[in-house]
Amino acid sequence: MQRVQGLGRSGAAGSAAPPVPELPAVPPMTAPELREVYRLMSSVRRLDEAAVAWQRQGILPAYAPLLGQEAAQVGSAFAVDRERDFLFPTYREAGVARTLGVDMVEYMSTHRATWHGGLWDAAEHRLAPIQAVVAGSVLHAVGWAHGQRLAAASPGDPQDPVGGLGVAVAYLGDGASSQGDVHEAMNIAAVFAAPVVFFVQNNGWAISVPTERQVAGGSVAARGAGYGMPALRIDGNDAEAVVSATRRALAYARAGRGPVIVEAVTYRRGPHSTADDPGRYRTLDDERRDAGADPLERLRARLLGEGLANEAFVAECDAAAAAEAEAVREGVLALGPRPGAEMFDLVFAEPTEELLRQKAQWRKESEHG
Amino acid sequence: MAEAMAPATRELSLQQALNLALSELLAEDPKVLVFGEDVGALGGVFRVTDGLAAKHGSERVFDTPLAESSILGLAIGLAMAGFRPVPEVQFDGFAYPAMSQIVTQLGRMHYRSRGALRMPVTLRVPSFGGIRAPENHGESLEAVFAHVPGLKVACPADPQQAYTLLKAAVRSDDPVIFMEPKSRYWQKGAVVTESADWAGARVARVGRHLTLVAWGAMVARCLQVAELATEDGVDVEVVDLRWLKPIDTESLAASVGKTRRAVVVHEAPLTAGLGAEVAQRITERCFGTLRAPVERVTGFDVPYPSGDLEDEYIPSIDRILFGIQRVLEYRRG
Amino acid sequence: MAEIPFPLPDLGEGLIEATVLEWLVAEGDQVERNQPLVEVETAKSALELPSPQAGRVLKVYGAPGEVIPVGDPLIVFEVPDDAAGIVGTVPADGAPTRRVRLSANLDDD
Repeated sequence: MQRVQGLGRSGAAGSAAPPVPELPAVPPMTAPELREVYRLMSSVRRLDEAAVAWQRQGILPAYAPLLGQEAAQVGSAFAVDRERDFLFPTYREAGVARTLGVDMVEYMSTHRATWHGGLWDAAEHRLAPIQAVVAGSVLHAVGWAHGQRLAAASPGDPQDPVGGLGVAVAYLGDGASSQGDVHEAMNIAAVFAAPVVFFVQNNGWAISVPTERQVAGGSVAARGAGYGMPALRIDGNDAEAVVSATRRALAYARAGRGPVIVEAVTYRRGPHSTADDPGRYRTLDDERRDAGADPLERLRARLLGEGLANEAFVAECDAAAAAEAEAVREGVLALGPRPGAEMFDLVFAEPTEELLRQKAQWRKESEHG
Repeated sequence: MAEAMAPATRELSLQQALNLALSELLAEDPKVLVFGEDVGALGGVFRVTDGLAAKHGSERVFDTPLAESSILGLAIGLAMAGFRPVPEVQFDGFAYPAMSQIVTQLGRMHYRSRGALRMPVTLRVPSFGGIRAPENHGESLEAVFAHVPGLKVACPADPQQAYTLLKAAVRSDDPVIFMEPKSRYWQKGAVVTESADWAGARVARVGRHLTLVAWGAMVARCLQVAELATEDGVDVEVVDLRWLKPIDTESLAASVGKTRRAVVVHEAPLTAGLGAEVAQRITERCFGTLRAPVERVTGFDVPYPSGDLEDEYIPSIDRILFGIQRVLEYRRG
Repeated sequence: MAEIPFPLPDLGEGLIEATVLEWLVAEGDQVERNQPLVEVETAKSALELPSPQAGRVLKVYGAPGEVIPVGDPLIVFEVPDDAAGIVGTVPADGAPTRRVRLSANLDDD
């Protein structure tokens, strides 16, 4: 920062804030990549619609649909390096999980009330457990990312810092952006130049409260300037725009230059959860006006229109998605309750005597079968 | 709601009883404000504030951004400005992000200001488990709240208590954490709107041989246990604590002084739970006449489990019966 | 043939009942899985229930306006024996049950 001679730090008060750095460019997506994204989005769309039905059929106690956010979720997860990046979801990231190759029965187990975080191996899949606390994991992403820097800088570390850093992707929404932890996370990430991508799905609604009643200034990306952090605000219903923006952000963070905000503007076409009733706070006319083109239909029209795929490919994706949803349904139905002993066994790495006593008492008084 | 035409007694669900009490409080005192996440157009995720914004205006019943620390901070500032805020955090687990405001500010503002700043804030917290909800939607925080100096804690067990206790809490000039048992929201019961019985504990069932002490959703379960115990010739008294802070020690001493045996039941984990406090107060007052140490039947020292294991965690009828049996068969020496 | 009852599931975080608004199928109808069965209203919202399975509708419970408690029968399907299965679980708020018996000598009380 420029300083006026003799005024010390106060001399910088009149100078302009330093410019926010530019993000690197990335090449356009290839046709096979676009087809793969379409295949994933088809699968996610079908699974999501099926899960809503499962809730109404008594199979799932509750579910948080992502309808309309397929491009944002699949596109962002498609862009990451599955070997070294780590993703931090909320509770509405079925599309992210599916794209990372998480077993969707293990994913849906959280909605089945089998195990809160889901049953997948978070370390193996590099996807943190489902997080019910809005903005709860955003600071974790920063901590993980700072760890990548520390590890890369350690003498003798086998990781090659020249090859770039693992990047944390923190998922959050317009609602979460109101939480104080999000400010703290962005500030620390920028101060430490931590390799984090704050991937904001601005879907217009936090349960019943619209973005204009939630986000002052209307844009989470606009806050990046205050942190000296590059920020992209993109059409979150355009799959390629999402993939490209995430790739640019990842490349910047991976090079050790610091965090980036990507704000994908999309629309929550369904209810907040299966226990919600959007009719109380928005009309069908509102939905028609605000939702924009369906991201899945949009990508399909592009693939067909530009000759990147044919009708047979689309039909094959649809059939595969239907079969997959059916298989997941069977798997979810077959999920029994976890052994009650897990309640006690998974609390500590080294269980306490008191907890073992409680477990023994539970076995004596309650254990079924 | 047509409270102007209210008959003396009506059949309401617990959630409707809260809604009626809030509506009457908003009508009687222009300083009362209701706010939180989705409490306006949506009417709250449990519909406790259903219709209140339409009836009393969106200045007095309003949605906040999704930020619990902000909700508590707003409430504290509004109280300083002379309002009587009734904020809501949507689920128990979301009180945690507000905990600094609750502990370092709400609980001690009156003290810090030497009484110059009153904190007539009633924080509504849908609480406890039993509904197969996601993580952090089934927490029992009473011991955490009760441990904070400067806070009072109330917990209704049925629609009548919900109505009466909420009225008392909001009219109080001190901060009250109001823990609503979400597994009982839709259970109906008779509500007498003129009831002035809001202070202290209440005897929910009279018995001779043993006292069960409970609050929230555990009161209904203890009443079931008491009925089953009659089949075995054991006559159980059930005390609904209602106020978890201050604890009505006199009512506990009166009941256990009579029955000479006590079991305290709660959903929260065992260690440092409120049951220990209840047991100690009973022991202090009834040591000479107690036939056995006070038993505790509680959740375990584990994170609240997913829905499939909820019934293993929440004190079951059998676990409460085991607790009663331990007291009954206790022999000195 | 086997009969499979479908009890009203909890449609949203601890609800205890729902009101039937309109039946979209009738007794005797053959339905497919996910076909809309009935429109109901809970304390939280109105929604359509998709059929949990294929089968012939043997019986429906609740005329429009009637309230059905969660866990009570909503519809019964008739299916070939080899298609019978269990759909989910519904937490019941039924009569209390017990395994534990108390024994006490209360003579000295």
